[in-house]
Amino acid sequence: MVIRVEARRGRLIIHVLNKWRFAWNVEPRYWRNPLIAAILWICLPLLILLMPRGLPIGPTTLLSALFLANVVSISAIAHAFQTIGTGRLNFGPNFFVVVGGYVAALLNKNYGLGPALTFLAAFGITALVGLALSPLTIISRGLYFTLITMILPFIMHELVYWRVDIFGAETGIPGITRLIAVESITDYYIICFYISLAIALTLLFIVDKIFRSRWGFMLGVINEDEDVAASFGIETKKIKVTIFTLTSGVMGISGWLIAHYYGSFAGTLWLDPWLLIFILLSSVIGGKSAIYGSVLGAYFVVLARDMLRPFIGGLALLGLYAVLLAALYLLPEGLWGLYRKPRYREYVPRIYVRRKL
Amino acid sequence: MVLHANNLVKRFGGIVAVNNVSLKINGGEVVGLIGPNGSGKTTLINLVSGFYKPDGGRIVFEGIDITKKEPYERVKLGIARTFQIPRLISNMTALQNVAYAIVGSKRFREKKMTLEEALSEAIYYLDIVGLLRKRDVLVKDLPLYEQRLLELARALATNPRFIMVDEVMAGLNPVEADNVAKLVQRLREEFKLTILWVEHVLRIIMRSVERVLVMNEGKIIAEGPPHEVVKNPVVVKAYIGEEVVL
Repeated sequence: MVIRVEARRGRLIIHVLNKWRFAWNVEPRYWRNPLIAAILWICLPLLILLMPRGLPIGPTTLLSALFLANVVSISAIAHAFQTIGTGRLNFGPNFFVVVGGYVAALLNKNYGLGPALTFLAAFGITALVGLALSPLTIISRGLYFTLITMILPFIMHELVYWRVDIFGAETGIPGITRLIAVESITDYYIICFYISLAIALTLLFIVDKIFRSRWGFMLGVINEDEDVAASFGIETKKIKVTIFTLTSGVMGISGWLIAHYYGSFAGTLWLDPWLLIFILLSSVIGGKSAIYGSVLGAYFVVLARDMLRPFIGGLALLGLYAVLLAALYLLPEGLWGLYRKPRYREYVPRIYVRRKL
Repeated sequence: MVLHANNLVKRFGGIVAVNNVSLKINGGEVVGLIGPNGSGKTTLINLVSGFYKPDGGRIVFEGIDITKKEPYERVKLGIARTFQIPRLISNMTALQNVAYAIVGSKRFREKKMTLEEALSEAIYYLDIVGLLRKRDVLVKDLPLYEQRLLELARALATNPRFIMVDEVMAGLNPVEADNVAKLVQRLREEFKLTILWVEHVLRIIMRSVERVLVMNEGKIIAEGPPHEVVKNPVVVKAYIGEEVVL
């Protein structure tokens, strides 16, 4: 037999040509197994389409929410990675999202660049902005760094109103090419979901590989004690600048997705603190365990808001914050902590921000 | 000569923590550095290891001016240190705490080592200090004595030629302190190390070093063989209080 599947002792084993053997643990506590999680994630739209009709939330609303959850996931993964790699908490991730969004919108609108080219430009230019700001990771730490980065969205906000002719203020930049041209709105949502999912999964894969390599090991040391890292030969400055630059570029990709998904981009909407809170809380609600928790957290935050809308209408955000507070109180280790078994031998860095100024 | 510090100055606001300090340490020497609290011993170590940048003076290590070099560059040149209060990564195991010192070392890149190879080598250093059985224990669960040993193992893992040992016996009982002193001596012989040893436990340091430097108020006030230094009236007045019988 070419392929033989076997379930034994809580493990799923696949034999190929009696030569190669792939095994996965399928115990609930091992659901963090990336492959199983990825399959579940890929199947989400199908599950929504199979939902019975007549529920308070329609499938298109949910599909749209899934897309937004992916966008928040991408930013939250990048933000968690940045926090670990620099040992500093950036309070302005939405600034980088908006930079990416404007780059995509302006290049598409003014120079006719398609989504593929604006993708590269959004990543590249946002990364350059990140590089310009990266000395912050060397000259400031703790609360100072947090406060400085918190100012960035406000500066962008002022800039957007100052140059209305370029950024369009609340109106934004309309008429951006859609991610893909299809007739059916449901198909559009599903395709956009899979595009954002592909980006999120690629990002997860790369970050996971980094965390399990010597680089992840070094990032963990920087995250825990930067001075010790430097005392034992780790080039902290170079690593922090690199991480800050690249993760800023990745946050810019979230802006690119938003601009091409909605077909217009109004930075003022995304500079609002709600996006910042969504990104930050995704890491916290998901759990301190690095990146996978961020995805869980992003889905929890976005879906909780949309689930609450049919029941409490305009108070949905208020309800969401109440739910989040309860989750923070009841789950100190976050959603990920429900499944995670402490296995410190496989050290993967967790978010830990020094309070030292 | 391994280390030559010339007229080092370090100020913190109006306080001059290190005031025109010059010292020379030859290869293979074990030099003790003693002095009362706040005399500038740890600041001197921080200057040599690169934690602090001096406000004046020059540091030369094996003929290379390292005054402006970053701490990670100094480690790669062969300078290692331990900390007065152990600074280990408490969420990592003992093995991992030694492994990252190998990952950061010069030979890791030169020999194109893998993370697994670094972990294997870390086992060797843990064995040397007697912590092999504790390799998978989180550092936060280790007692102070073992944390001190682990700091020595971590310093050794950088493949140093010069180690600065900062109050390695602080908080240890007499038996543990004796063990650490013997270990430092053994490491010196096995790895051909040059050691600058900051310590308050005079009973042990006077037996273990060849030369002693005494610091007070940021200056070196005396220097020489232990039996001479402890009789120096300036040292007795500033630090010891009474003569030490060796």
